[in-house]
Amino acid sequence: MNKVATTLLALTVLVILSAMAAITFGPADIDSSELITCLVSSCQNPIANVIIWQVRIPRILVALVAGMGLAIAGAILQNTTRNPLADPYLFGIVSGAGLGATIANISLADNLTIALPLAAFLGALFSVIIVVFIAKVLQRMEQLLLAGVAVSFMLASITQFILYFGEPFATNRVIFWLMGSLARVEMSNFYVISSVLIVAIITVIALHRQIDALLLGDESAASLGVDVDKLRLLMLGICAALTATIVAYCGGIGFVGLMIPHIVRQLIGVTTLKLIIGSALIGAIFLIWVDVIARSSLPHAEIPIGIITSALGSIFFLFIMYRSRAIS
Amino acid sequence: MSTLLNISQLTWQVPNKAILQDINFNVRKGEVIGIIGPNGAGKTSLLRCITNQNNILANTNVTGSVQLKNRAITKYSAKEVAQHFALVMQKNDTIFALSVQDVMKMGLLPHKTLFSLDCDHDKAQINLALKKVGLEQALKSHFNQLSGGEQQRVLIARALVQASQVLILDEPTNHLDVFYQHQVLQLVNKLNITVIMTVHDLNLASLYCQRLLLLNQGQLISDGSPEEVLTPKQLSQVFGLPCQQSIDAMTGAIQVSFYLKNTDKQQNQYSELVDE
Repeated sequence: MNKVATTLLALTVLVILSAMAAITFGPADIDSSELITCLVSSCQNPIANVIIWQVRIPRILVALVAGMGLAIAGAILQNTTRNPLADPYLFGIVSGAGLGATIANISLADNLTIALPLAAFLGALFSVIIVVFIAKVLQRMEQLLLAGVAVSFMLASITQFILYFGEPFATNRVIFWLMGSLARVEMSNFYVISSVLIVAIITVIALHRQIDALLLGDESAASLGVDVDKLRLLMLGICAALTATIVAYCGGIGFVGLMIPHIVRQLIGVTTLKLIIGSALIGAIFLIWVDVIARSSLPHAEIPIGIITSALGSIFFLFIMYRSRAIS
Repeated sequence: MSTLLNISQLTWQVPNKAILQDINFNVRKGEVIGIIGPNGAGKTSLLRCITNQNNILANTNVTGSVQLKNRAITKYSAKEVAQHFALVMQKNDTIFALSVQDVMKMGLLPHKTLFSLDCDHDKAQINLALKKVGLEQALKSHFNQLSGGEQQRVLIARALVQASQVLILDEPTNHLDVFYQHQVLQLVNKLNITVIMTVHDLNLASLYCQRLLLLNQGQLISDGSPEEVLTPKQLSQVFGLPCQQSIDAMTGAIQVSFYLKNTDKQQNQYSELVDE
């Protein structure tokens, strides 16, 4: 326990340091003494003031909570389905959000600031309902993931069909949104994501023993007094809400939920409480730094953050497969 | 001994088949009961009904009653049922690297509220239970890396942490070699709690159970001590094979052996053995 506590403490410090370090990165040249003055008292330079308080800090805070949220969603899905490959991306949640965003973009010309996230959220919820419905009909836990993949492809094909016939400007907007970016986030997004995140974390901490009981099989959990179906449905709902909120503001950021819990299992442990807290911290660190890469690796342009996470994620996927082959 | 469980007129009917048919019996506190019978006789189904797994008694196909301490089991919440019954299953599928400690902590669940963390008392309880099954050094080991017998013993220890009054085991000796079969059953016997288990091996059942229930095609054929239940006549009827009974010289327990009808040579050998 001591070792776990030390690791978690070190990670917390690392989250804070990462967030602080990330403020120094960006296309505008702001030297460190100016930065410190801005953070501690008030800025002399009004441009620096805007850049730091309205661009960089909201962006870092959103990266922090989005990383936490996506990693936690993956961790919850993996433990409740006993499948280490479960990820919100694979459950069709992101494709659902993509379809919702596409429909909003094509049918509405303006007023997108509220309509786009809302439509993405509804789309994500829609896909989860379909996945749960299919799994319920099939009555097979192992097929929940397969159902998710099937639904994901179905919704993606509908999205592409609409985009193909859609107006080029709107199509462009959607395609860029699907790649994921933190470039347009604001402080209000941080508040919305944080509130969903807090509700999710409190629920999972409340039910951590129930979720742990699932790790040894449904029958074992049921014998310990767990209502397995209800618990799994609740957890799926929480993951959907969490992912949908994040995807709505930040677009498609894949594979965070798959990668981070794997690292946490190696580092801290497999039971839910450790996994959730560890995933939140490592997820936050990960996304803060990926966003730093996204906005500062090219001189006059940004790389969409989803491209970087997907590239890292796919390599990670292959690594897991290679390793599991080596073990068996 | 006071009556703990009362099963009366329990019937589970599915189209064209009765899984369980008019089952009646009582379980007294402290009894070690073995449920025996051929494959598909309804042994596991009976266990599922006794513990009302997945609220099975609410199913319209199931009639009759199961009473725990003179109160219908359906009136107990899932958590309360878990406080009375601990289940050790045949198969545990986990792919994650759970430690023995993680598995043991699951046993605390029926006694914990939301948000609760582990306390020192829990740790002491876990250590005590592991000591009782002889695995106190395995606390930090990976559950998946233990042998089948050790896994069974961990799950029995988990049941002890669960502090239930009845231990339910479904084929506890499946997949275990002879040494572990005896070790696990001996352990179960020494715990001084009520045990209901399904057992395939009749001679093990005879050796370790005070009372046997013989099921066949969903019916309770016989209920009594091993001497009363393991009679050649009843067993050959149920299993469809001629059967011989003998007394084990070492333990004094009833032992039975079966042989195929068409081999006269074997039949002679068995008769000779009995004659001796």
